[in-house]
Amino acid sequence: MPFRRLLRRWQGALLSVVGIVATVWLGFSGQLGLYIHPRYFVFTLVMAFIAGVLVVVAFALLPATEHEHALPDDDQGRWAWLWSAGSILLIASATVGLLVLPPATLTTATVAKRDLNGSTSNLTQSEASDLVGGDYSSFTVRDWSSLLRQGAGEDFFADKTATVTGFVTPDTSDPENVFFLARFVVACCAVDAQPVGIPVYYPGWQDEYPIDSWVSIESGFDTNPSISSEEAIALVPSEITPTDQPAEPYVY
Amino acid sequence: MHMSQTTAVRPVAARRRPGRGLYVGLIIIGILTLLRAFAPAPPADSLADTARDFVTLSISVVIESLPFVFLGIVLSIGVQIWLPEGFLLRRLPKNVVARRVVLSLLGMLLPVCECGNVPLARGLIAKGLTVGESMTFLFAAPILNPVTIITTQQAFGWDGGILAWRIAGGFLIANLIGYIYSRHPKPESLLTPRFREACALGDGHNAADGKARRSAALFTKETSAMLPALFIGAGLAGLIQTAVSRDVLVTLGSNPVWSVLALMGLAFVVSICSNVDAFFILSFGATFLPGAIVAFLVFGPMIDIKMLALLRTTFTAKTLVQLTLIVALCSAVLGLAINYAV
Repeated sequence: MPFRRLLRRWQGALLSVVGIVATVWLGFSGQLGLYIHPRYFVFTLVMAFIAGVLVVVAFALLPATEHEHALPDDDQGRWAWLWSAGSILLIASATVGLLVLPPATLTTATVAKRDLNGSTSNLTQSEASDLVGGDYSSFTVRDWSSLLRQGAGEDFFADKTATVTGFVTPDTSDPENVFFLARFVVACCAVDAQPVGIPVYYPGWQDEYPIDSWVSIESGFDTNPSISSEEAIALVPSEITPTDQPAEPYVY
Repeated sequence: MHMSQTTAVRPVAARRRPGRGLYVGLIIIGILTLLRAFAPAPPADSLADTARDFVTLSISVVIESLPFVFLGIVLSIGVQIWLPEGFLLRRLPKNVVARRVVLSLLGMLLPVCECGNVPLARGLIAKGLTVGESMTFLFAAPILNPVTIITTQQAFGWDGGILAWRIAGGFLIANLIGYIYSRHPKPESLLTPRFREACALGDGHNAADGKARRSAALFTKETSAMLPALFIGAGLAGLIQTAVSRDVLVTLGSNPVWSVLALMGLAFVVSICSNVDAFFILSFGATFLPGAIVAFLVFGPMIDIKMLALLRTTFTAKTLVQLTLIVALCSAVLGLAINYAV
């Protein structure tokens, strides 16, 4: 069947084009960071370019279908149509996923699956110690959450002001009054993202700031007034500023 | 008779119009680019968070792995078409054990990630490498390569011998598997029928075709084999990650036995690239015992969801089940030995 032969020959090239167009567009629109660590940007774009050249050369030089003798035996089987249907479905799904749906970050649904601050994904003990005495104004959510997790103590946080941006995700131990200002830490790509966050005491926050919306906070730390929250220290801000999702939503 | 006539005539006829395919290709690329640039944004909240994260995670696996798969295919094209016949294989030692040892160090010269090693190994098998030897290369190269060694050293330093155990474990398991499968009476039966036929046909073009045309043909053939597997593997990895809570695995951390099994489960699910898995697992350093971390760092580069999908293009399902069991058993034994003995 000519269509099946056409598909068998070109499904790899088509999937390549879908992947290449998606990669290059993400790269040039500054959104590649939604999926991979910046250290891979150049490599990823260079390989997309090389593969793009190979795809174009393949389109230019190859006949539309494979030689008859190059076809595997199962191409003529009774269920061969199923292979074609699966192949079309795969190409269509890849096209929708990579080229139609808007690029997106991970959401609170993944925070719930990955134990916020459950790992030290942030920093090692010695790195966290090095933070003490650093330039606190430039500290990220990752830095502050590391210090909180390492148990720096109330005295340490008493005179410190954090200026941080992150997305809103509820504190499961007191969702009424406390939320986490969270970010995902990425080592390689979004698959390995680990959520880190700073607890924020702000009763009734749900009414003003939807889950997963991005906010900026400039505030001091204090003993967490919440009775049921498991977090001992929290930011207790008087003001929270809604903001847009930053160009690089993950921290590294 | 009919087939041979078709075979002889079709390519010649197609070659008379080399420009047409180029135009078709450029039009497809143009349409897909326009689709991406002007795709209407769906209304907010049109996808539930979980569905959205499934898409994000799956795309992340594709975008991260695709360049490595392309690199592996480019190297495979280099080995099969551009290097002189036998350039690589001729230089390997004749002694089978020494041959496997050298193959397990090939990753030092060709530091491709594990997804890139699959097309490269396919190219090497097509050029005459035995099935057992290809497995040694496939399983050793992701661990015994300079990028992995440097990142593991950066993440863990020399503490607890994690780097040394990882290198030793990867080397020994890969060579053990090579040895086991070198004794198989019918090694070609370990390969999928489709790949076997592809090997028998060579690159599908006679030598009279230019190298550029043969390279292009091999590129379409390898992408047609590898990319569907990569996309399906990425979808499965995304699906399992949105369905399985990582907390379950992490809470098992302090038990010497469960921590090993839990981190192997995590490695299987996360399908993370061997070049950076050390940084990822470093985050669990405080939670898990060293044996569990070594088991993660040895098992993950060899077997995970994405890797199994890619390997399925080449090996039969039965072979992959056996390989998974052997690698899992060896990694678990290594991890448990470290937890109890060190």
